[in-house]
Amino acid sequence: MRYLLILALASVVFAQRPVSFNRDIRPIMADTCFRCHGPDAGTRMANLRLDLRDEATKANRAGRTPIVPGKPEESQIVARVFHTNPARVMPPPSAHKELGEKQKETIRRWVAEGARYEGHWAYEPIRKQAGASIDSLVEARLKEEGLSLSAEADKRTLLRRVTLDLTGLPPTAAEVNAFLADTSASAYEKTVDRLLSSQAHAEKMTMHWLDAVRYADTSGFHGDNLYPSWPYRDYVLKSFLDNKRFDVFTREQLAGDLLPNATTEQKIAAAFNRLNRTSAEGGLQPKEYLAKYGADRVRTVSAVWLGATLGCAECHDHKFDPLTSRDFYSMKAFFADIKETGLVPDRGARAWGSVMRLGTEAQQGQLAQIDARIAALRQQIENQQAAAPELLKAYEAGELAWKVQRPLTAASRNGAALKIYNEEEVDSMPYVGGIIRSFRGPGKGLIVASGPNPDNETYTITIRPAAGRYTALGLEVVQDEGNPGNGVARGADRLAVTEVEAYLGRKRLDFSLATSNVADPTWEQPAMSAIDGDSATAWGVVTYGENKNPFLALRLRQPLVLTGQETLRVEIRHDSVYRKATIGRMRLAMSTGTYGWPEGTDITEQRNKDGKNPGGLPVEVVKALRGEKDADAKALARYLAWMRGETMELARHEQQRYYLEAAIPKVLLTERVEPETVRILPRGNFLDETGAVVEPAIPARFGKLNTAGRATRLDLANWIVAQDNPLTPRVQVNRMWRMLFGVGLSKVLDDIGSQGELPVNPDLLDYLAAEFQSDWDLRRLVKQIVMSRTYRQSSQATKQAAEKDPDNRLLSHQSRTRVDAEVVHDIALSAAGLLKPRFGGPSVRPYQPEGYLGALNFPKRDYSASRGAELYARGLYTQWQRTFLHPSLMTFDAPSREECTVNRVNSNTPLQALVLLNDPIYVEAARVFAQKMLAEGGKTIEEQIDWAYLRTVARPATAEEKAILKELHGKNLARFRADAKAARQLLTVGDAPLTVKAKPEELAAAATVTRAILNLHEAITRN
Amino acid sequence: MQEVNWKRRTFLTRSCAGFGLAALGRLMGASGLHHAAKAKRVIFLYQAGGPSHLETFDSKPELARMHGKPMPESFTKGQQIAQLQGKPLICYGPQQKFKRFGKSGQEMCELFPEMGSVADELCIVRSMWTEQINHDPAHTIMNTGSIITGRPSMGSWITYGLGAETEDLPGFVVMMSSGKGGQNQPVAMRQWSAGMLPSKYQGVKFNSVGDPVLYVQNPPGVSRDMQKDSIDAVNRLNQRQQALIEDPEIQTPIAQYEMAFRMQASVPELVDMSKEPASVLEMYGAKPGDGSFASNCLLARRLAERGVRFIQLYHRDWDHHGGVKDGIAAKAQEVDRPTAALIRDLKQRGMLDETLIVWGGEFGRTPMSQGGDGRDHHIKGFSYVMAGGGIKGGITYGATDDLGYAAVENPVSVHDFHATMLHLLGVNHLRMTVKHQGLDVRLTGVSGEVVKPLLA
Repeated sequence: MRYLLILALASVVFAQRPVSFNRDIRPIMADTCFRCHGPDAGTRMANLRLDLRDEATKANRAGRTPIVPGKPEESQIVARVFHTNPARVMPPPSAHKELGEKQKETIRRWVAEGARYEGHWAYEPIRKQAGASIDSLVEARLKEEGLSLSAEADKRTLLRRVTLDLTGLPPTAAEVNAFLADTSASAYEKTVDRLLSSQAHAEKMTMHWLDAVRYADTSGFHGDNLYPSWPYRDYVLKSFLDNKRFDVFTREQLAGDLLPNATTEQKIAAAFNRLNRTSAEGGLQPKEYLAKYGADRVRTVSAVWLGATLGCAECHDHKFDPLTSRDFYSMKAFFADIKETGLVPDRGARAWGSVMRLGTEAQQGQLAQIDARIAALRQQIENQQAAAPELLKAYEAGELAWKVQRPLTAASRNGAALKIYNEEEVDSMPYVGGIIRSFRGPGKGLIVASGPNPDNETYTITIRPAAGRYTALGLEVVQDEGNPGNGVARGADRLAVTEVEAYLGRKRLDFSLATSNVADPTWEQPAMSAIDGDSATAWGVVTYGENKNPFLALRLRQPLVLTGQETLRVEIRHDSVYRKATIGRMRLAMSTGTYGWPEGTDITEQRNKDGKNPGGLPVEVVKALRGEKDADAKALARYLAWMRGETMELARHEQQRYYLEAAIPKVLLTERVEPETVRILPRGNFLDETGAVVEPAIPARFGKLNTAGRATRLDLANWIVAQDNPLTPRVQVNRMWRMLFGVGLSKVLDDIGSQGELPVNPDLLDYLAAEFQSDWDLRRLVKQIVMSRTYRQSSQATKQAAEKDPDNRLLSHQSRTRVDAEVVHDIALSAAGLLKPRFGGPSVRPYQPEGYLGALNFPKRDYSASRGAELYARGLYTQWQRTFLHPSLMTFDAPSREECTVNRVNSNTPLQALVLLNDPIYVEAARVFAQKMLAEGGKTIEEQIDWAYLRTVARPATAEEKAILKELHGKNLARFRADAKAARQLLTVGDAPLTVKAKPEELAAAATVTRAILNLHEAITRN
Repeated sequence: MQEVNWKRRTFLTRSCAGFGLAALGRLMGASGLHHAAKAKRVIFLYQAGGPSHLETFDSKPELARMHGKPMPESFTKGQQIAQLQGKPLICYGPQQKFKRFGKSGQEMCELFPEMGSVADELCIVRSMWTEQINHDPAHTIMNTGSIITGRPSMGSWITYGLGAETEDLPGFVVMMSSGKGGQNQPVAMRQWSAGMLPSKYQGVKFNSVGDPVLYVQNPPGVSRDMQKDSIDAVNRLNQRQQALIEDPEIQTPIAQYEMAFRMQASVPELVDMSKEPASVLEMYGAKPGDGSFASNCLLARRLAERGVRFIQLYHRDWDHHGGVKDGIAAKAQEVDRPTAALIRDLKQRGMLDETLIVWGGEFGRTPMSQGGDGRDHHIKGFSYVMAGGGIKGGITYGATDDLGYAAVENPVSVHDFHATMLHLLGVNHLRMTVKHQGLDVRLTGVSGEVVKPLLA
């Protein structure tokens, strides 16, 4: 503050411009006058207020007037501050706040110029400044301090800076060389234009915007499950790519659904309103959570567009800004028309409330066709006469029960240890009745996988069924807490059995139908996928603490007659893209009659407790057979059709439908309903319903909306981007400034209220805000800034600048900043040649340490890294798990996005070093980088180091740097020569193939060089 | 005070890289602590899910007499209810017996004989209450004193204020275990977040699966020597660059890489319990590497010895909506012995006096039954246990009403508890504040009083 004071002061001396109350006078008064002559009545002296013009210009009882505008000689404050008598001078010596001569002179001049007061700077109208420019305004300010702009940065630095700032990627070697070669005056501008029109630029802009709108892929509370949000992210990407006007962009997000003839794109934009965290915790108080959701929207909108901390007014009037509790709840009322519930289901058919499906017309057509076919087939089946007296007999005789097998052998292809527990005792920890139980008992044919846990695995199990005529094979997946994937799989968030095959000798048995006891498309992938011969489809189960074990029943096309001597070999394949989605515990069973589902918790307990149900038929079928009065006749008809094999076609159609539906993207939808009543909650207490009812309204300080009826979100959006709203453009310009300089012109980005920071250069902020408000063209704004000399300066501070302005707020040079988390990732992958470009699409899952999601539940789950190109997508596309954000992103200060974040912190911790050194993606990047370096980087190690440096930091290495890296290379080459196994281990980190024919020890040694380069501070610094 | 402070002072003169080093004079004033500290560190045995006070530390014979009868409406009218919303509210008597332990005659559930054997060290608070009835927000207020997302957790506050006494380990360490007999409620990472404080004060989670600290192990094929040479090379290159461009900021990453390297040695050494005598493992009931609460308790002692300031152990499955009787027995088996062992072990080593041990969860459970054999979430009254670090042992403080519903005698709020904990650490909770959005934010929000009768 004192610092600003000096600046304010200096400005009067150097610049021949009128004194500004906010810039020049308020800081002086706040420091020296208001304590006794300000708003606080408790400490006021002489009944005098200087913070209000009306008060300060009134004569006191003695007839003396503190301020007579335009007449300093008649003004008491001027007389008193210049007074030489210690008993009369202001501030009094006892206050230890002596005014300097320049400050006194400023006060005098201000009075002389008319003593114009100004309101809080951010709420004042934006001052247009014709003829100004960024550089002239910055220079004017610097001049006041005796500083000046620095020279332009060298070309390499400038290119890397502007490329990182605009795209979040380092320049390629070709781009560096082309820029160096282009000596034309327009070289830089051409580069800027190229960057601004790139998809990468849209991605960079999106990255920042997503922080602000608290975009994530999961719901954030309780189970923190995945919710459908990425099409909104793609909307943002596309908007930035198209350089959509910011006012349109604003309207679409707040109220896209309310626009006349709203397009799909506009409706997707409105998903913004649904990006708040939601909870599905049983026993939550709906009103409490509705209050949370509403408050989140108020906080987000006010921070993102208005730079206001309106959230502070949830419980009480704002302490510092003219915002009241009424303002808070009136703002909340704008969003009262959004359809939602306190408990937002996070799975099943009703998951996430209103959701929009984004199928193409072709997809919708196919779906309609298939649905019609399914309905017809169902009807056909259910309308059949159903009677089967012999079935009941067989059932009651116990002939239908599943015969649990005692395996002879169990082996795995890729290393998992399979152990058979026939009569041997085994420890179990299943979830029963919502509680983890623990017991020990005979396994009864249980097979347990343990030890090595490969991503894909095939189990081969042999059994020798007793003599009989078999119609089906059953696979029971036994849930246990020891299995991180939903209690059933050894990893991932699901089980994925791509195929089950059975062999009698060499003869492969043919299955005609697969069904499961889960039988719900929102809980499983279709059972038919296990016998369709397609490894891209899988029977995948998400059980979530179900008390029954998932059971897959496979009908044999031809009954299998066995003598009791034959050995049956069963192969269970897990070839899915999901890693470790492999069965943890299982049993096999055979059916001699037909089959139904085990009714107990597992197949060894098929009988009901009363012993009346010998197993093998669903309860509702038994009821129908027994003619019980609440029986469902259709259940029997369905069952009989199934027995006769008539449901095969239905099952195939249902499978087809599943994949068709799964391919349709979905997004959270803002659905408008009759608005809920919104009351002021006294002290934010949701139980207190005594507060006044409020209607939607903007904060009273900013006036009233003139609407015919109840104001809508669209009215709010229109006000936010109205030409007389001074907040939005200032806030947005300030945020853009931060993106390009590391610090905003006012450094508190989420609060331009009185507790924020007066901009270091208010004229500059206003100049840019006015320009921006005139066309809402973000790309033009960004170009204007990056074309300025201010932006293009060197980051090197002069000694003088370092002393006078150590934080470089006046911009006498550019600044060095560590790049954002996603960019740290993208630089490494880009330099290595590992980055796979894409533009939008579902979020991706980079490698993540095993067990990282161990503290999550509902469902219990692990993480399955993506495969192929998705592993190497830009950091921006990472699946954003709010309660457990990817640890490498988090370590580099990416926010969890549980809340709106407009000002990322930028820390430096040892954990960051561990990430860059040891996270497999960075090790893989170093390895792939080395492969490329050996293939393309020249013959000598010196050339190679230059090549790698150029790709990483846009410059060749110095001789000294080469010497350091050569030494490292030499030492490690010797080590790897002595230990070939170590070399191979290092080279197999990550999924990317090994593509050069170098010797392993040479490649590994080269990888230690590239790894060092990727760990350079310079690599992750934008200079 | 001198004793607590001298080590910290040595750090103040060093580089402020690394994590856990104190926020210099900014927070506490140049003089260091606000007053003489009794405790140097905290080990918080966080029983997540909401342990039933009625089957642990709060004996309610009257509730047994009321078993099966409707809960009098005078207790429940207008109060928050979680899963029992709209259901009949029936009294559910205590499912386990209580007895008296130690010279002090502390009354505890008989499922906790080991903790009973150190009863004279324990201070049982029977009058805790909180504001939040669902797990996530209740954890949030217990950890941060606020339900607003983005506030620092208590471990971050304390590390920010006091720093740590180690340069090889984080100042704030979190561990997690789960067992059986309950429901594993999720616990979000934000519970140990530094909020608006610098990230280096964030809790660092130690894991029992995979790397003990994320990415602390070298990549496959990279030996420690190789890692050292790589880090040396990186630091030499960075030094060189600094000389060239005079960027003082480069000193920080250089220090960070050095500390990272030290951590790569100190963390494995720390979690390697093979050198612990069999008698110690036996005392805790710990099997090295099993990730159990017992192993974590032993690790907590090792972390305390190495100067870690705030050690938080979550044990996760106390959410007994059903099967509370057996469930509590299962949980007691998991936590009773290690908790007592930790207290004894620290005492043997002369560290109990300077280590505050806290045992408790985010809320308690209803005196009313849920589904006939469980209890729902409950916020009006529950129990906490503390020991060591300036706490008066052998006392029971505060009380709930006859049915164990509400804290009626000497109620202790979450903020009171935080204020007391900070007091023991030499911190005046009113004076440990940071500016955020114009407010002086503190762990205790706008309330909180030190509970003096708990102090030794």
